Amino acid sequence: MGKHRYTVIAVGLLASAVFIFLAVRHLDIKALEKVWQDARVLPWLPIGIASYLLGHLVRGVRCRLLVKREATIGLVTASNIVVVGYASNNVLPARLGELVRAGMLAERTGMPMVQSLAITFIERVLDGLAILLLLVLGTMTGDAPGWIHELVRVALVVFGIATAAIVAGAYSPGLIVAVASRLGQKLGPRAHDRLVSLASSITNAGACLRDPRDAALLVFYSLVVWTLEAGLFVALLPIFGLPHDLASGVVAMSVTNLGLLVPSSPGFIGPFHYFCSRALMAHGVDETTAIAYATLVHLAFYVPVTIWGASAMLWYGVEVGSTAAIAREARRGNKLTTVRGVPFVEIAPAAPLPAEPEASAFTIGMVEAMVGGTPKPAAVAYAAKFVDGQIAALPPKLQGMFGAGMTFFRFVTRLRFLRGYCDVPLERRRAWTRRWAESRIALLRQLFKPVRATALLAYYDHEDVRRELLGSVVVPAASLVRDLPASAELA
Amino acid sequence: MKTQVVVIGSGAGGAVTALELARAGLDVIVLEQGKRHDRAVTYGTGSTEGMKQLYRRRGMTPIVGSVPIGYVEGMCVGGSTEINSGFWHRTPAEVLLRWQTQFDLDGASVDELAPHFAWAEEQLSVSLSGKPWPRSTEIFARGAQKMGWAAQEVPRAATGCQNSNSCAVGCPTGAKQGMSTTLVPKAETAGVKLLDRAHVKMLVKRRAHRRITGVLGEPELDDGARKLVRIDADHVFVCAGPTETPALLRRSGIKFHVGDTLRIHPMLKMIAKFPERIDAQDSVLPLMQVREFYPEVGMGGAFYTPGHAALMLSDNWEPERMADVRNMAGYYVAVRGRGRGQVRPSMLGDASTSIRYELDNEDVVNLSNGLARLATMLLAAGATEVMPSVQGMAPIRTQREAIRWLDERLPRKAIGLTTVHAFSSCPIGERSDRCAADSYGRVRHWDNLHVNDASILPDSPGVNPQGSVMAFARRNALHFIDSRAS
Repeated sequence: MGKHRYTVIAVGLLASAVFIFLAVRHLDIKALEKVWQDARVLPWLPIGIASYLLGHLVRGVRCRLLVKREATIGLVTASNIVVVGYASNNVLPARLGELVRAGMLAERTGMPMVQSLAITFIERVLDGLAILLLLVLGTMTGDAPGWIHELVRVALVVFGIATAAIVAGAYSPGLIVAVASRLGQKLGPRAHDRLVSLASSITNAGACLRDPRDAALLVFYSLVVWTLEAGLFVALLPIFGLPHDLASGVVAMSVTNLGLLVPSSPGFIGPFHYFCSRALMAHGVDETTAIAYATLVHLAFYVPVTIWGASAMLWYGVEVGSTAAIAREARRGNKLTTVRGVPFVEIAPAAPLPAEPEASAFTIGMVEAMVGGTPKPAAVAYAAKFVDGQIAALPPKLQGMFGAGMTFFRFVTRLRFLRGYCDVPLERRRAWTRRWAESRIALLRQLFKPVRATALLAYYDHEDVRRELLGSVVVPAASLVRDLPASAELA
Repeated sequence: MKTQVVVIGSGAGGAVTALELARAGLDVIVLEQGKRHDRAVTYGTGSTEGMKQLYRRRGMTPIVGSVPIGYVEGMCVGGSTEINSGFWHRTPAEVLLRWQTQFDLDGASVDELAPHFAWAEEQLSVSLSGKPWPRSTEIFARGAQKMGWAAQEVPRAATGCQNSNSCAVGCPTGAKQGMSTTLVPKAETAGVKLLDRAHVKMLVKRRAHRRITGVLGEPELDDGARKLVRIDADHVFVCAGPTETPALLRRSGIKFHVGDTLRIHPMLKMIAKFPERIDAQDSVLPLMQVREFYPEVGMGGAFYTPGHAALMLSDNWEPERMADVRNMAGYYVAVRGRGRGQVRPSMLGDASTSIRYELDNEDVVNLSNGLARLATMLLAAGATEVMPSVQGMAPIRTQREAIRWLDERLPRKAIGLTTVHAFSSCPIGERSDRCAADSYGRVRHWDNLHVNDASILPDSPGVNPQGSVMAFARRNALHFIDSRAS
């Protein structure tokens, strides 16, 4: 263990000690005993723990989505990976469990350790944003003390910057790698390659956010995760005779988890109790009850997950610390490689190219509305797939503008016809589409131009339509092929 | 591990460069972003499949500006030579003179370039068709004759063309002399290692030493996975085309006069309908071009299929017009663009490029006049209707309607423009105040970095640029070999 690691542990332990002192300095021990004697654990504790553990399953779903471009892992494996991280944080100081979790994710998916860490970072930022949203909602119902507002402001700045970094990595991967390469060039080939590898891994991790639907799902899952975790905090309130106050539970959960960003001893002992009790006291709960509540929530938070995590580690034969080392070893150093006979220095795996999208029902509806006569189904389906592929090939900025424009069109269509675009009868759909595509507003014409042009091209060059128009079909290319000159003639 | 030369791109510039350097005994690796295709499988399989397989971004590379312009270029082994018409022009003498005057371009007189043009013409068997013209060409010739205009069949790099009408989607017969059929096999025979599906992201450089040390690339493996790799080289030739070459240089931090002066030939297409059957979809595109107004305005025939007819008619879409698809043919008017564009690596996405071009007022004037003249000519040739790609414009049915555009200007926002000719984004010449590279393509401030494709042409040539690109590329490659030897 290096000197640096000892320092981290020492700082963590010191932080824990400080927070424990702050939490209990005015505590009346006899009153605390009384609170514990009066506590009614059943049925609230199992309900709370169930809610919390269900949240970990949803974390598993989210984890699968985050790595879906790199690997396919089962829900159980994904949830176990998540829980191993939490369990490791419970036994290791200074959030070192994140490294263990990233190492296990790298090992299970085959992705580089750096990329796995970047995915963990993205998860944490999503967590932070969800917690912040819940905290803001929780404080809207009552008078929260100034320090909670201050906490919200600080968290907004921290997670705002982190979100901006993630968005840059996700949507400008080329730029990030280019910047890394240009910086690395000043440091020599080895440092250059490492920096580029790092940047590449980070941008690959951000790939999961490039699909707007996936990004929305990730945000949604994050909100579900933290709502379920808030369920633990709310469920445990009646144990100490407190009312089922949703706002108190949500604020306690949010403040506690934001407080856990402070590196501390294993299991967050100290900061957890301090922030949880102070959040509850802000809602008028006395200090003794608040400390008892915080202690119980911490146990519910600590014990089941540690048991689950330890079991998972035993199941997979994972040793804490070795996983990260294995993953690092597997990815360490650049190696010489040959691709189709051309030698290279390999730096990092690169993100795979996206597959051609399938035609959406909306595009099929558009193509039907744009072509003439009775649309031929096979030609429409082919043209729609072609159109969606062409739109996906547009430069990202134009693709974004097109997506926004079409969302607006669909929204106006729904308002106008009180139904979705595809449910509008064909003739009315044709007239409506034409009105937009030939609008006096140049911007609207430009919005429809790529769809109309590519749809007409693909439809009228489809074999079925050509046969009807021309009575002929495309001559198979193979029947026209001529041989190249012999290689002797080329020399 | 280091190679002597890396050539980025295998089109008209890259293939010539690789071949000449390999024949001079250099160790050459060519990195091509597109795929190597089997003609029997991929070429000539229809316009949509061709776009998917052979075009950069599947043909979706718009040039943005107050008038958006559709731009396409090839992305496959052979580059745009695989999807162009094969029309061959030497750079007009007056254009070369202008380049010498305005850019202090050395070694680029008609006489100095003549052996390079001759070499390329021999390599590609450039010739006239030698066969009876298809109907769409006959009509065009008839129109030019009636107008009394200078017009001629353009020589092509298409030996024994079989009229498969596949120029724009890869010639399956092998008649079209694209680089994948001609110089690339020769280069590989001469020892060039060509790696297709290898996207180059960056150049790796040591600014203090004014040297490029290699490139950062992303080759695709046979199983579809990709790797980020580095390849070290003594010399790098960037021949990635008029948009990707400047984008790559700028992405790599090389910006001196790079990507600031893009020129294009804006092209306005139109459909002409005739009383008789033309069946333009069954023959090669019209082989004649009107030279009367060269080099400012050119007129010729466009690639035509039912799909392309619908595309050209899409600005004023009336589906029933498609019933006459066998009586129609596509033509174009192209102008030597006076506007100026920019090429920049896009901030968004992974190595995408943003291209901007502002149509000059003179371009609009030339396009309007060109429309008037071409429509007049087509009507004189017997067309009953001429339908230009101009939003809201009714079909032109009389010459009187057509000549209106000699005096009036087409409405900018309504013009539907395309282009397949772009250049001048890294102009060469001795004028350090306007040229990105010296007269022979060596990039300023860098000792071992060269550009050698359409981006080096200092200005619009006003004609199909493949001949100019190949002649300049060979001249530059031989100059490089000579300078190394000395």
